[in-house]
Amino acid sequence: MPYREKTAWLSLLAMAVAFVPYFAIVQADSHSSTSLPSLRQLALFAVAAVVQMAILGVGHLYLNHGSPGEARTPPDERDVAIMRRSISSAYYVLIGGMILVGCVMPFNSSGWTIINAALVMIVLAEVVHYGVVVASYRRQA
Amino acid sequence: MDESITNRIRFLRFQNGEMSQAELGQRIGVTRQTIAAIEAGKYSPSLAAAFRIARVFNVPLDQVFQWDATDVSSKQT
Repeated sequence: MPYREKTAWLSLLAMAVAFVPYFAIVQADSHSSTSLPSLRQLALFAVAAVVQMAILGVGHLYLNHGSPGEARTPPDERDVAIMRRSISSAYYVLIGGMILVGCVMPFNSSGWTIINAALVMIVLAEVVHYGVVVASYRRQA
Repeated sequence: MDESITNRIRFLRFQNGEMSQAELGQRIGVTRQTIAAIEAGKYSPSLAAAFRIARVFNVPLDQVFQWDATDVSSKQT
Protein backbone atom coordinates (compact mmCIF):
# COMPACT_ATOMS: atom_id res chain seq x y z
CA MET A 1 0.00 0.00 0.00
CA PRO A 2 1.50 3.42 -0.96
CA TYR A 3 2.58 5.66 1.91
CA ARG A 4 0.11 8.38 0.91
CA GLU A 5 -2.79 5.93 0.95
CA LYS A 6 -1.76 4.87 4.46
CA THR A 7 -1.75 8.49 5.64
CA ALA A 8 -5.21 9.00 4.10
CA TRP A 9 -6.51 5.94 5.98
CA LEU A 10 -4.91 7.33 9.15
CA SER A 11 -6.70 10.67 8.70
CA LEU A 12 -10.04 8.89 8.17
CA LEU A 13 -9.44 6.78 11.29
CA ALA A 14 -8.51 9.83 13.37
CA MET A 15 -11.65 11.65 12.27
CA ALA A 16 -13.85 8.63 12.98
CA VAL A 17 -12.39 8.10 16.47
CA ALA A 18 -12.49 11.81 17.37
CA PHE A 19 -15.69 13.06 15.80
CA VAL A 20 -18.16 10.15 15.74
CA PRO A 21 -18.31 10.12 19.59
CA TYR A 22 -18.34 13.94 19.63
CA PHE A 23 -21.35 14.21 17.33
CA ALA A 24 -23.08 11.30 19.10
CA ILE A 25 -22.74 13.08 22.47
CA VAL A 26 -23.81 16.41 20.96
CA GLN A 27 -26.86 14.76 19.40
CA ALA A 28 -27.78 13.05 22.67
CA ASP A 29 -27.40 16.39 24.46
CA SER A 30 -29.43 18.31 21.90
CA HIS A 31 -32.34 18.90 24.30
CA SER A 32 -30.09 20.87 26.67
CA SER A 33 -29.15 24.49 26.12
CA THR A 34 -27.33 25.27 22.88
CA SER A 35 -26.86 28.96 23.57
CA LEU A 36 -23.44 30.60 23.44
CA PRO A 37 -21.07 30.33 25.19
CA SER A 38 -21.26 26.74 26.44
CA LEU A 39 -18.17 25.53 28.27
CA ARG A 40 -19.36 21.90 28.09
CA GLN A 41 -19.57 22.07 24.28
CA LEU A 42 -16.21 23.83 24.08
CA ALA A 43 -14.62 21.19 26.33
CA LEU A 44 -16.13 18.39 24.24
CA PHE A 45 -14.79 19.93 21.05
CA ALA A 46 -11.36 20.47 22.62
CA VAL A 47 -11.21 16.79 23.64
CA ALA A 48 -12.20 15.69 20.11
CA ALA A 49 -9.57 17.96 18.54
CA VAL A 50 -6.83 16.78 20.92
CA VAL A 51 -7.74 13.11 20.30
CA GLN A 52 -7.59 13.67 16.54
CA MET A 53 -4.20 15.42 16.76
CA ALA A 54 -2.80 12.71 19.05
CA ILE A 55 -3.87 9.91 16.68
CA LEU A 56 -2.45 11.79 13.68
CA GLY A 57 0.83 12.54 15.49
CA VAL A 58 1.42 9.00 16.73
CA GLY A 59 0.19 7.52 13.45
CA HIS A 60 2.51 9.64 11.33
CA LEU A 61 5.48 8.79 13.58
CA TYR A 62 4.65 5.09 13.23
CA LEU A 63 4.23 5.29 9.43
CA ASN A 64 7.41 7.36 8.99
CA HIS A 65 9.32 4.84 11.11
CA GLY A 66 7.91 1.95 9.05
CA SER A 67 8.83 3.37 5.65
CA PRO A 68 11.25 6.29 6.08
CA GLY A 69 12.28 6.31 2.41
CA GLU A 70 8.73 6.59 1.10
CA ALA A 71 7.86 9.23 3.70
CA ARG A 72 10.70 11.47 2.52
CA THR A 73 9.94 10.99 -1.19
CA PRO A 74 8.18 14.06 -2.61
CA PRO A 75 4.81 13.38 -4.28
CA ASP A 76 5.10 12.41 -7.94
CA GLU A 77 2.78 13.63 -10.70
CA ARG A 78 0.15 10.94 -10.02
CA ASP A 79 0.12 11.75 -6.29
CA VAL A 80 -0.39 15.43 -7.18
CA ALA A 81 -3.20 14.54 -9.63
CA ILE A 82 -4.93 12.45 -6.95
CA MET A 83 -4.50 15.26 -4.41
CA ARG A 84 -5.96 17.80 -6.85
CA ARG A 85 -8.96 15.56 -7.62
CA SER A 86 -9.68 14.89 -3.94
CA ILE A 87 -9.46 18.56 -2.95
CA SER A 88 -11.73 19.51 -5.84
CA SER A 89 -14.37 16.97 -4.74
CA ALA A 90 -14.15 18.09 -1.11
CA TYR A 91 -14.50 21.73 -2.15
CA TYR A 92 -18.00 21.15 -3.57
CA VAL A 93 -19.09 19.38 -0.37
CA LEU A 94 -17.67 22.19 1.75
CA ILE A 95 -19.18 25.02 -0.31
CA GLY A 96 -22.58 23.28 -0.35
CA GLY A 97 -22.39 22.74 3.39
CA MET A 98 -21.36 26.32 4.10
CA ILE A 99 -24.25 27.68 2.01
CA LEU A 100 -26.61 25.48 4.02
CA VAL A 101 -25.09 26.45 7.37
CA GLY A 102 -24.49 30.12 6.65
CA CYS A 103 -27.51 31.02 4.54
CA VAL A 104 -30.31 28.61 5.49
CA MET A 105 -29.75 27.54 9.08
CA PRO A 106 -29.78 31.05 10.64
CA PHE A 107 -33.51 31.24 9.79
CA ASN A 108 -34.45 28.31 12.02
CA SER A 109 -31.47 27.55 14.31
CA SER A 110 -28.97 29.34 16.51
CA GLY A 111 -25.90 29.01 18.73
CA TRP A 112 -24.16 25.66 18.96
CA THR A 113 -26.59 24.02 16.55
CA ILE A 114 -25.15 26.13 13.75
CA ILE A 115 -21.58 25.68 14.96
CA ASN A 116 -21.98 21.91 15.12
CA ALA A 117 -23.64 21.84 11.70
CA ALA A 118 -20.61 23.72 10.33
CA LEU A 119 -18.33 21.19 12.01
CA VAL A 120 -20.31 18.33 10.43
CA MET A 121 -19.82 19.90 7.01
CA ILE A 122 -16.09 20.41 7.57
CA VAL A 123 -15.66 16.81 8.75
CA LEU A 124 -17.78 15.59 5.82
CA ALA A 125 -15.61 17.52 3.37
CA GLU A 126 -12.49 16.03 4.94
CA VAL A 127 -14.01 12.53 4.72
CA VAL A 128 -14.70 13.11 1.01
CA HIS A 129 -11.15 14.45 0.55
CA TYR A 130 -9.44 11.44 2.12
CA GLY A 131 -12.07 9.04 0.77
CA VAL A 132 -11.31 10.11 -2.81
CA VAL A 133 -7.57 9.73 -2.10
CA VAL A 134 -8.08 6.17 -0.80
CA ALA A 135 -10.43 5.25 -3.66
CA SER A 136 -8.01 6.64 -6.26
CA TYR A 137 -5.08 4.64 -4.91
CA ARG A 138 -7.27 1.51 -4.62
CA ARG A 139 -8.35 1.86 -8.27
CA GLN A 140 -4.76 2.74 -9.28
CA ALA A 141 -6.30 5.78 -10.99
CA MET B 1 -6.48 6.77 -19.25
CA ASP B 2 -8.46 6.82 -22.49
CA GLU B 3 -9.23 3.27 -23.53
CA SER B 4 -7.83 3.94 -26.99
CA ILE B 5 -4.31 4.53 -25.57
CA THR B 6 -2.22 1.45 -24.94
CA ASN B 7 1.40 1.01 -24.00
CA ARG B 8 4.20 -1.53 -24.29
CA ILE B 9 6.05 -0.62 -21.11
CA ARG B 10 5.81 -4.10 -19.66
CA PHE B 11 7.26 -5.62 -22.85
CA LEU B 12 10.00 -2.98 -23.04
CA ARG B 13 10.94 -3.53 -19.40
CA PHE B 14 11.46 -7.22 -19.94
CA GLN B 15 13.33 -6.56 -23.16
CA ASN B 16 15.68 -4.32 -21.19
CA GLY B 17 17.08 -6.86 -18.79
CA GLU B 18 13.81 -7.45 -16.93
CA MET B 19 13.92 -3.98 -15.49
CA SER B 20 11.69 -3.71 -12.42
CA GLN B 21 8.85 -1.19 -12.09
CA ALA B 22 10.70 0.33 -9.14
CA GLU B 23 13.87 0.85 -11.20
CA LEU B 24 11.98 2.42 -14.09
CA GLY B 25 10.11 4.63 -11.64
CA GLN B 26 13.35 5.72 -10.02
CA ARG B 27 14.87 6.59 -13.40
CA ILE B 28 11.97 8.81 -14.46
CA GLY B 29 11.17 10.22 -11.02
CA VAL B 30 7.90 8.52 -10.11
CA THR B 31 6.93 5.77 -7.69
CA ARG B 32 6.64 2.06 -8.48
CA GLN B 33 2.87 2.35 -7.99
CA THR B 34 2.67 5.04 -10.66
CA ILE B 35 4.51 2.82 -13.16
CA ALA B 36 2.08 -0.01 -12.29
CA ALA B 37 -0.87 2.32 -12.87
CA ILE B 38 0.55 3.50 -16.23
CA GLU B 39 1.20 -0.08 -17.34
CA ALA B 40 -2.33 -1.08 -16.40
CA GLY B 41 -3.73 1.84 -18.43
CA LYS B 42 -5.29 3.38 -15.32
CA TYR B 43 -3.24 6.57 -15.31
CA SER B 44 -2.10 8.76 -18.21
CA PRO B 45 1.40 10.12 -17.57
CA SER B 46 2.33 13.69 -18.39
CA LEU B 47 3.96 14.30 -21.76
CA ALA B 48 7.30 14.87 -20.01
CA ALA B 49 7.06 11.56 -18.14
CA ALA B 50 6.09 9.77 -21.35
CA PHE B 51 9.19 11.16 -23.10
CA ARG B 52 11.36 10.19 -20.11
CA ILE B 53 10.06 6.61 -20.31
CA ALA B 54 10.83 6.47 -24.03
CA ARG B 55 14.33 7.82 -23.38
CA VAL B 56 15.02 5.15 -20.75
CA PHE B 57 14.23 2.44 -23.31
CA ASN B 58 15.99 4.42 -26.08
CA VAL B 59 12.99 4.16 -28.43
CA PRO B 60 10.67 6.77 -30.01
CA LEU B 61 7.58 7.75 -28.05
CA ASP B 62 5.21 5.96 -30.42
CA GLN B 63 6.92 2.68 -29.67
CA VAL B 64 5.97 3.05 -26.03
CA PHE B 65 2.46 4.52 -26.31
CA GLN B 66 -0.04 3.78 -29.06
CA TRP B 67 -3.24 5.63 -29.78
CA ASP B 68 -6.06 3.87 -31.63
CA ALA B 69 -7.57 6.71 -33.69
CA THR B 70 -10.34 4.48 -35.12
CA ASP B 71 -11.72 4.04 -31.62
CA VAL B 72 -12.22 7.80 -31.22
CA SER B 73 -13.75 8.30 -34.67
CA SER B 74 -16.23 5.47 -34.01
CA LYS B 75 -17.28 7.24 -30.78
CA GLN B 76 -17.87 10.52 -32.64
CA THR B 77 -20.22 8.97 -35.21
